[in-house]
Amino acid sequence: MSKVGLIIAREYSSRVKKKSFILMTILGPILMVGFIFGALYLGQQDEEKIKILVHDDTFAITQFINYEKENPNQLTVYDTSGKKNYDDAILDFKKSENYDLLVYLPENIIKTKNSTGIIQYKKPPTAKSLTYITNVINKAIEKSTLQFYNIPKEDYDKLKSNVQFRTIDIKTAEENNNMAKSAIGLLFGVIIYLFIFMYGVQVMKAVIEEKSNRIIEVLVSAVKPFELMMGKIIGIMLVGLTQFTIWVALCSLSITILSVVAFPDMMEAANQAEMMQSNIGNEVTMDNEFADIVFRQINWPLMIGLFLFYFVGGYLLYGSLMAAIGSAVDSETDTQQFMIPLSAPLAFAYIIAINIIGNPHGSTAFWCSEIPFTSPVVMLVRVAIGGEGMVWQVLLSMFLLIITFITTTWIASKIYRVGILMYGKKASYKELLKWIRFKD
Amino acid sequence: MENPLIFEAKEIVKNYSNHVALNKVSIRIPKNSIFGLLGPNGAGKTSLIRIINQITAPDSGELLLDGEKLSRKHIKDIGYLPEERGLYKKMKVGEQSLYLAQLKGMNKKEANSKLRSWFEKFEIEGWWNNTIEDLSKGMAQKIQFITTVVHEPKLLILDEPFSGFDPINTNLVKNEILNLKKKGTTIILSTHNMNSVEEICDNIALIDKSNKILEGSVNKIKEEYSEKIWEITYKGNAVSFANSIWGGWELLKQEQGINNTIKTKIKLSPKLNLNDFIKGIIDNVEIIELNKVNPTMNDIFIKAVNKSNELEPKLDE
Repeated sequence: MSKVGLIIAREYSSRVKKKSFILMTILGPILMVGFIFGALYLGQQDEEKIKILVHDDTFAITQFINYEKENPNQLTVYDTSGKKNYDDAILDFKKSENYDLLVYLPENIIKTKNSTGIIQYKKPPTAKSLTYITNVINKAIEKSTLQFYNIPKEDYDKLKSNVQFRTIDIKTAEENNNMAKSAIGLLFGVIIYLFIFMYGVQVMKAVIEEKSNRIIEVLVSAVKPFELMMGKIIGIMLVGLTQFTIWVALCSLSITILSVVAFPDMMEAANQAEMMQSNIGNEVTMDNEFADIVFRQINWPLMIGLFLFYFVGGYLLYGSLMAAIGSAVDSETDTQQFMIPLSAPLAFAYIIAINIIGNPHGSTAFWCSEIPFTSPVVMLVRVAIGGEGMVWQVLLSMFLLIITFITTTWIASKIYRVGILMYGKKASYKELLKWIRFKD
Repeated sequence: MENPLIFEAKEIVKNYSNHVALNKVSIRIPKNSIFGLLGPNGAGKTSLIRIINQITAPDSGELLLDGEKLSRKHIKDIGYLPEERGLYKKMKVGEQSLYLAQLKGMNKKEANSKLRSWFEKFEIEGWWNNTIEDLSKGMAQKIQFITTVVHEPKLLILDEPFSGFDPINTNLVKNEILNLKKKGTTIILSTHNMNSVEEICDNIALIDKSNKILEGSVNKIKEEYSEKIWEITYKGNAVSFANSIWGGWELLKQEQGINNTIKTKIKLSPKLNLNDFIKGIIDNVEIIELNKVNPTMNDIFIKAVNKSNELEPKLDE
């Protein structure tokens, strides 16, 4: 094995054997998938059963409420209309454990549009159940109003308009859903940001370790500083790629298993989404949209491929500079002044990535996805959202990234070869510039 | 000179941005010898060692190893134990010894068997699966020594090899160094420990303020620096001893010895030789013991450095 190969192998195997790596690699995707599905699951479970006591002064609405309930178990209605006056109903509500809410429908509620009913509670209702009750009652009021004015339901339905728009890409004939796509893009953005930063810092720490435990002098008597630095950077990069690969594998596996076992509906939704392609007239519900995006609209191989490229590129850019920082200091506590100019653009890229979602093809989005210090994070979000003329932009940004990481690696190696043998001297930026110009 | 040269540095110059580290330094190291590289702190020893190890390159000058121009392929022929040393704290002893040996160009199988036999020799086979963290400083030093010599280099550079060892282990390492020499290795020993220089070095070079100020075999240098100083123990009257000979000598020290003897240290002037001195005193006192006092390397070191410091202002004038 070549010497660089030996160094790569050591850096790689000493890291993947660590308990923390194994734990993160296995727990990471489980936590991520568990979190997403947990949220979905809890969302489904949220159909609480509500018992309401209705005091209906119009005597006309309550009878329709029961017809309008979508799910009969969810809502139980107790009607006090005609039996008691409102004050007695209030007393009943206060005394009894049977009711969750007291709904008061005043007499003028049918004749006056936009009048206000009153819901009294002991425990505040959730927004979801309040929306549900309001819907049901509004529909009941609608029905009783039709009856009051003696308007046939069919006539009313003819009058009523309920138009919604779907936006469809004329070339691909696919529905566009920027928000959901950007959410996926942002997820990639977050992961690439974390990966570049995490593994970049690992390079820095590894360099500081070798310098501070003084093994460095023995090492550079056997290999060139450049070989040592590259071996370290590549070894740690392979650790990152390993982790990502396992994450992708575990995520797809657990999504598949969970979809089949715990969420058969969702798979159906995916199939429906497929059918929908040829049958545009069907109504699409919220759940279907999510499944549609996850299973159809995101080009996973492309996203994963780009992730790998931009991770490698961004990591080499930042990792090489962090290696240079590690070589210039004696201990981790001295890294502060050099770390800020490196962590700032990365954090900035992340903020930009969130902000361009509204305008993914504006000039901010364009430039930040081309400038190599921000492009790995920003470009992933833009590609996930998709759009016209992205191909040349992606290629250009890749090209710029490659040029830049070659340059930073070259600069870093110049600083590194001097820095690793300098002790007890606090390096300034001026000093680093001087090191770059040193001859061997 | 006695043996052919294993290493030669010719007129090595190394400048750093604000100072000269080495000013036309030349050294010649004969094969199969132990070469002491001496000098005060900051004299330029480490710079020279780093150049020999090809960690840095000289600005000018020539380096030859075994007659060939020094290049990367000679890395496997050189072993280096730096003064500031360390190992990976969390890596297992065996694993990192193998790693370092492979970096020096050994293949894994060969490195493994050689390391095992060294571990046996130092009676530390049980440490193979420990991490350095688990070991004491002295234990770690042993591992470090082994990793330096395991690839059987032609030229071994040891920078303060005895620091951190207790007397027992110092002796163990010293014997190992002599063993290696017996097997044909040439050793550069950079140290402040002048006793060990006297004990084991064949040749030395003394570097001070970027310049080589002294080079040669230990015996020759000692001769050069030797003065006519003798230790004489006698029985008899101190006054008659002092009055035996007038002039030409100096009493450096006088003290009461055991059994009514008197111990003295005298320095003879160039004009007076020992025979004439003895003739003078022999009738007055009974000589019990007579010893030549040779200069220690420590004396020579201090003298040479002081001399070069005295020369310096004169050069400025």
